[in-house]
Amino acid sequence: MVKSIARKEFISTLRDKRFVTLSALLFFLLLTATLVGLHSFNQLQAERTAAQETVREQWVNQPDRHPHRVAHYGSFVFRPKSGLSFLDFGIDSYTGVSVFLEAHRQNSANFSQAQQSGSLIRFGEMTVAFVLQMLLPLLIIFLCFGAFTQEKESGTLKILLTQGITLRQIAWAKIRGYSQVTGLITGPALLVAGCFIFGLNSFEVNPEIFFRLFLFLSLYAVYFFICIAGSVIVSALSKSSRLALVSLLGIWILSCIIIPKAASNLGAGLYPAPTKAQMDADVHEEAVKGIDGHNPKDKRGEALLTSLLIQYRVDSVHQLPVNFEGIVMAEGEEYSSKVYQKHFEELQQTFHQQNSIAVWAGFFNPYLALRQLSMGLAGADFHHYVHFQQEAESYRYRFVQRLNELQATHITYGNKNQRLAAETWSTFEPFDYRAPSVGWVLVRHLIPLLALGGWLFLLLALGPKLIEKAQIV
Amino acid sequence: MKYILEAKDLSKRYQDKLALKGLNLQLETSEIFCLLGQNGAGKSTTINLLLGFLQPTSGAAFIHGLEVAQNPLAILKHLAYIPEQVMLYPNLTGLENLSLFSGLAGFSYSQEELMAYLQQAGLPANAAGKRVGTYSKGMRQKVGIAIAIAKHAKVLLLDEPTSGLDPKASNEFSELLLQLQAKGTAVLMATHDIFRAKEVGTRVGIMREGELVDVLPTQNLNANELEKLYLNYMHN
Amino acid sequence: MKKILLLIKFEALSFRADKGLLLLTALMLAAGLYSIYYGTQEIARQRENLAELEQLETHTIEELKKKYPGEADAGTVAYYFPVFAQNQPQPWAGLALGQRDVNPYYLKLRLLNLQAQLYDTENINPLKVLSGNFDLAFVLVYLFPLFIITLGYNVLSQEKERGTLPLLLSQPIRLSTVVISKLGFQVILVLGMAWLLSILGFIGAGISPDGRIALWLLVVTLYCLFWFGATFLVIALRKNSSFNAVILLGIWLVLTMVLPSLMNIYVTVSQPLPQGIDLTVQQREAMHSGWDKPKEETMQQFYALYPQWADDTPIKGRFSWHWYYAMHEMGDQAVKDLVQAYKSGLQKRQALTYDLSGFSLPVNAQAALNALAGTDLDSHLQFMESIEQYHVSLKEFYYPFLFRQLPFTHADYEKLPTHRFTTKPATDLVLGGITKLLFSTVLVMTGGYLFFQRKN
Repeated sequence: MVKSIARKEFISTLRDKRFVTLSALLFFLLLTATLVGLHSFNQLQAERTAAQETVREQWVNQPDRHPHRVAHYGSFVFRPKSGLSFLDFGIDSYTGVSVFLEAHRQNSANFSQAQQSGSLIRFGEMTVAFVLQMLLPLLIIFLCFGAFTQEKESGTLKILLTQGITLRQIAWAKIRGYSQVTGLITGPALLVAGCFIFGLNSFEVNPEIFFRLFLFLSLYAVYFFICIAGSVIVSALSKSSRLALVSLLGIWILSCIIIPKAASNLGAGLYPAPTKAQMDADVHEEAVKGIDGHNPKDKRGEALLTSLLIQYRVDSVHQLPVNFEGIVMAEGEEYSSKVYQKHFEELQQTFHQQNSIAVWAGFFNPYLALRQLSMGLAGADFHHYVHFQQEAESYRYRFVQRLNELQATHITYGNKNQRLAAETWSTFEPFDYRAPSVGWVLVRHLIPLLALGGWLFLLLALGPKLIEKAQIV
Repeated sequence: MKYILEAKDLSKRYQDKLALKGLNLQLETSEIFCLLGQNGAGKSTTINLLLGFLQPTSGAAFIHGLEVAQNPLAILKHLAYIPEQVMLYPNLTGLENLSLFSGLAGFSYSQEELMAYLQQAGLPANAAGKRVGTYSKGMRQKVGIAIAIAKHAKVLLLDEPTSGLDPKASNEFSELLLQLQAKGTAVLMATHDIFRAKEVGTRVGIMREGELVDVLPTQNLNANELEKLYLNYMHN
Repeated sequence: MKKILLLIKFEALSFRADKGLLLLTALMLAAGLYSIYYGTQEIARQRENLAELEQLETHTIEELKKKYPGEADAGTVAYYFPVFAQNQPQPWAGLALGQRDVNPYYLKLRLLNLQAQLYDTENINPLKVLSGNFDLAFVLVYLFPLFIITLGYNVLSQEKERGTLPLLLSQPIRLSTVVISKLGFQVILVLGMAWLLSILGFIGAGISPDGRIALWLLVVTLYCLFWFGATFLVIALRKNSSFNAVILLGIWLVLTMVLPSLMNIYVTVSQPLPQGIDLTVQQREAMHSGWDKPKEETMQQFYALYPQWADDTPIKGRFSWHWYYAMHEMGDQAVKDLVQAYKSGLQKRQALTYDLSGFSLPVNAQAALNALAGTDLDSHLQFMESIEQYHVSLKEFYYPFLFRQLPFTHADYEKLPTHRFTTKPATDLVLGGITKLLFSTVLVMTGGYLFFQRKN
């Protein structure tokens, strides 16, 4: 019985010309989004890899230089695009991609896509995620709004019920039929997209990426199910098709347009972040209170010197077996980095608080929950961005400290003309950014995961009860 | 102008179906003409043609001497129409609905006058201020009648006015028609109700498959004879 | 005319009795008020932040004065004293924040190599800027069309579906009069709200009255009328309510999301901008190679550009501030072409966007509002331009101290040039946008009218 109704829905939908046109349109958009995603992925990745290689080459080919010169010559790191980011650009277009690393300073990540675009980018980007998260639910609404109301209006619902089938069974059958239709639209497009991905060999194929892709698709499947079941329930509880459609469209507008923006804006209003200038000034202020790397006359510097003199049992800085300038600079770097880390973490904490409203809103709005998870799995969410910034900072810290150490051990005190041989530079490790694992991602997205699961559970548990409340006459 | 309502060889064709075949009909003032016939006999088509909602394929209809197709807006001033289902704006009260429609017809009545029309149509005074969404079908129809009365139209067109009304409401409705007749209004009423047709009508027309097959004066005719005659027509 | 007024009056009565629509209207008003609050707050915060920058400057000056109680070396001052270039918002920015959240609205600047400083960014929460701003422009450009669609999609179909159409048509009145009157009421309601919110916005943002108010209201009015025109066009098809709702939402979706995102793809693909990254990488190489070259070589190149500072005295010792800043200047000079390419790339992108905006009225309206508020990419590019000028004036200020070895006294701190930039509204862009809006609005309205009459 359930099967035959499901089949009826499936077939009659496929015979509906308007629906077929819409699906074809969506299929086309999905393919466009995939191609565009891959194209921009490849282009940006190539740009950044090339730039990273250039920078490495420049680094290795430096002439003989004083280590502190090299510390100010510095290095650049470029954020590589993560594997699945062509499916969901996430926040990638709004984050800087290049960071200049040098001694004493933590610079901002610059040249985001959004900064280099006009207002167009603010209208949203055509990505697979956009099509799946926003457009497909709309198609599902068009598909499902009449699920019960049309049967009511044409009187077929009563006939079905007199045949001995229950409302619950009808609902299940409809959900099944519509799920098949949804699968029919998304399946082929994703398959074609998959062929492109793995056929083009644009990036390395490993179990990790398969697992991410698998999770990505599963979560979207859950999301579509929520949309389908929710729409069918609204249809069952509505008096007329028109009312069902208008309510569903209202829910869509609220969930996909208004709430995400309002939640983000509210968060930013509640938890203001300091400006970069203010933060830099604070870091400077606090670092100066301790040791300024360029100013060994400072008290802490003096204390350090005294302890070194005692340690090596000598009378003056010139007699030390190590270069005190290098030591003091290493201490300074350590201290200011610590201060910076503190402020950086505070800033990230503020951003997390700002975003937390949107994260918790996932319990009211499955779109928001899915958006978080999708960005996370694509490696294009806030956590990944912070991870990159942290990696860049730790790379900066390591090479600057290594240079300070070289200065302490290989350069004589006060000698600014002495240089290290050019061969030294190639012994520095290149910047090799590894995106974190799936497990790392999931741990950071427990709330949205829980929210999506909650929606699924709620619909499965309460759905049948709600369906039975549907008025037949 | 001899007739207040006139149809001359009025025909209407939908694609391959002739819905009305050369209808000739004349109504004078104070006449109540009842059209009898099965569903699809052409009664509603006739009314829609007279209202100008449909364009005739051939022939012409005249209201108050004006050709309907030529004067679509002018003739509506002389016509009042009560559809089978009187549907009004559910969010507005009966009084407000009446005020709107009579205003559109070009009248501006005071509240008291509007109340008087509703009362004349038989709507209880306490219902006039309630939203139409809460009305029964009979109450809605009374507002419809009030709209028609308030328009002071010379011709009243009715499409199955008593279907779905309880006997008491039907009776009240007949009384109202007779009152209007006394004021000189001509009424054209499409109906299935032979007995009421006989009771209120001055003439009865029988329609079959788009043709007016017979016209009978109701004087000297009893209801049973009329029914026999009617069924006879339907079986041939 | 009397009948139109009557119909409008009763449409108002129906509206007043419809709880759903009243709720929706209240929600729209609430969204509008929140957007004004949010936008003006955001700009107030930016103003506060900008004011704090001045305190930072004063604080640094005090520190330097304490550190160098007598005369100081200008080179040291220039190195340790960052100044701030400020893009002061106009009050208008609170109504249309535009790109002011993505692009930095101030820049920390020292006498060093400009290209290494020019692209530094502000602390921004990327998720927040991705979600965008809930400003008045958003409410007007995105939500008002939805409001208009919700009010108007079933103007005619509802009469048919609930059976009031025959009775209505049996009155001596044209169907087009009925539909236009009903839409007329909605136009009054929607424009009334749009104007009310705009005026509240003007007051809330503290805007002093000038011609821009008329331009803003004109853009908003035409944009709303366009959506009424689109609704009328769909109504003229005489389909049922569900069909109308789907088609109108589809139009909204295509115009506000699908088309702009496809246009964005076209712009980025046809106008790639790898120059940004290239130029920062190259300027570092050019600048730092100065350390490995004989100082005379750098100075010769510098004096060729700035003959007024030419000086034959050889540089003694390992380090000298005037050589140091000359080296930085030569770093900028080395990437001049790349900078030009990058800038013209950005300008080409903006021009292309502007050319394409005719395809999507929401993009057009948003661009016009942003241009009016001075918050678009163009305004930012002007800000960047003014920073370059500021950098020049910093050089002009410091170079005499550096190249003529003049002492830097406490009084000289006060003479440092400051930078306050405020965008001018791009009235020509706004007028261009209004022309497009007017054209599209007239087009849909005549289209709707002709369709309606033809179907009669």
